[in-house]
Amino acid sequence: MKTADRKALKVFQELLENPVNRLVEQAAGDGRIPLGYSCSFVPEPLLMADRLFPVRLHATGIAGTEIADNYLSSLVCSYTRSILEFAFDDRYDLLQGWVFVPSCAHMQRLQDNLEYLKKPGFVHTIDVPRKVSEATLDWMEEELHMLSDRLASHFQVDMGPDSLDKAIASWNEYAETVKAVGELRKRPDPPLTGTEFHAMLMASLASPKDLIMPEIRAFRDEVEQQGDITGHRARLMVVGGHLHDPDFIRVIESQGGLVVADRFCTGSIPGLMPVETNGRGPVRALAEHAFRKTLCPRMMEDFDRRLQSVIDIVREYNVDGVVIEVIKFCDLWGVDSMPLVTALRDKGIPVLKLEREYRLGGEGQLRTRVQAFLESMGR
Amino acid sequence: MAQRYFGGCDVGSTTGKAIILDEKGAILASVIIPSEIDPELTSRLALEQACAQVPGLGDYKDLSYLIGTGYGRNEVPFADENISEISCHAMGTFSCSPDIKTIVDIGGQDVKAIAIDDRGAVLEFAMNDKCAAGTGRFFEAMSRVFRMDLEAFSALSLKAGRVIPVTSQCSVFAESEVISLLAKRNPPEEIAAGIQTAVSKRCFTLLKRIGMRPRVTVTGGCAKNRGLIRALSKMLAMEVAELPVDPQIIGALGAAVYARQRSNGTGG
Repeated sequence: MKTADRKALKVFQELLENPVNRLVEQAAGDGRIPLGYSCSFVPEPLLMADRLFPVRLHATGIAGTEIADNYLSSLVCSYTRSILEFAFDDRYDLLQGWVFVPSCAHMQRLQDNLEYLKKPGFVHTIDVPRKVSEATLDWMEEELHMLSDRLASHFQVDMGPDSLDKAIASWNEYAETVKAVGELRKRPDPPLTGTEFHAMLMASLASPKDLIMPEIRAFRDEVEQQGDITGHRARLMVVGGHLHDPDFIRVIESQGGLVVADRFCTGSIPGLMPVETNGRGPVRALAEHAFRKTLCPRMMEDFDRRLQSVIDIVREYNVDGVVIEVIKFCDLWGVDSMPLVTALRDKGIPVLKLEREYRLGGEGQLRTRVQAFLESMGR
Repeated sequence: MAQRYFGGCDVGSTTGKAIILDEKGAILASVIIPSEIDPELTSRLALEQACAQVPGLGDYKDLSYLIGTGYGRNEVPFADENISEISCHAMGTFSCSPDIKTIVDIGGQDVKAIAIDDRGAVLEFAMNDKCAAGTGRFFEAMSRVFRMDLEAFSALSLKAGRVIPVTSQCSVFAESEVISLLAKRNPPEEIAAGIQTAVSKRCFTLLKRIGMRPRVTVTGGCAKNRGLIRALSKMLAMEVAELPVDPQIIGALGAAVYARQRSNGTGG
């Protein structure tokens, strides 16, 4: 597969080397307030008001979880253990607060341990409902008001409607720009790889949006000027839970499977939808946005919508095969992936299910699986 | 027109295998050698020995088409292309026993269950590669505990009248458990049979994941372990099919079959 050597990509890779990167340090040095979050149900624009900015928690480059393993069972997923390990290593010390969602039991144990062992200055849990209805939207709106009030009083920041509208506008500009780059992947020969796109996405989720935007624009310009990616054997889509390390996509693409679409927790579809303001106030808009942009197996009675979204993306992006990645011991994706595999195959869509650890390991085995998958598709 | 030859080279973690086919697909040479640390050296040595078995064939550079497979497949620089061992085991089995639909490939460092279609292509596969349990390395460790080679270990297990269950499927813990059982003076053949049963259970789990269809066979070096084949047959409640060629060279054979297809433009 013929790929390009891009300058902008190196910037994103460098920004992913540390969970608190130089742009976060720069913003914090300017008196701004970085807040960590780990779940897509956290509406980022709320954490972008006034001097606040969100940093998606990742532990890319983690070597092991020796200390965290003392506190979290080996049956707890390696993502949560990795975050706790990095917390012990003081890698998140610059963050001034953490915003959690009880996404799953593992994440709740992470929060328990963090509060018990290394209590952050500010911790808040958004109690996100597991069903979507008018009543649960009211609930979610109230939850976001509570978070907003706490942020305002703890950090002395402006969380009023005008401030939130401004934050939403910033988010929408960011989301529209990244989404436009993602749209390029629909082309028969896209001008960028899935590895590049994911590096851009992850770096931007872990950086202040205003500071990363020039890099995203530079990347977009570079991509548009350079040639298309040619010679790929198949167009793939990756589906699953938290996937932070672009190297995972790189290994898949090393076998000739170009990743053209994503549908995972830290992916762009539908994660980067702009917020639709509807005249009912910014907090209500964010409550609705949180459910629209997130398709999570924690939600009840929503499997059909999750399945249909994958099928729609397969058609829209002309995907040849789907790779489902599940972090070992992830209860939510572990259960959801079983009927998902069957349902997609029933639709004639080839599926490869990969169980993995948060940290990329066993590259050789991963390559073998992907190569055999492509071969089984006749590619 | 000069005779054309097609090669397949399977660079495994324990052994390197090379096969050479003629234009009609007949096996002209078959080689198995212990793997070197350097996979490229393994492939070179295996191919050199295979070429020496074919009169009129100079060296591997004279092969019309060569395909590398196995864990070291990317390290065969003189191959025309590489294909995963999963596809090659499917094609190798299909080429000699087209009625077989399901394979368990027990290699040196992993175990794979493979379902194949009516053309020898892979329908579905499952791999156990997170630990050494049930692999060739596992059997090497177990036979070391019994102070015997693999062949003697297999023969010992076949003598058992009953089976002492070995509960641990982790290689390290299984070794400790077996040492304890031996220390308690349990009959060694019954413990050996327990090890074979434990591995066959692991194979059964993988086979269930891919939707096993008869006939079923075992490929890879461990297919020569008769005690394991007997235990697996019992577990599956069906006879494990025997292949007409050495099961250890099936991956290399599949690669050579693909090489012949590619060179003849017959797809694959």
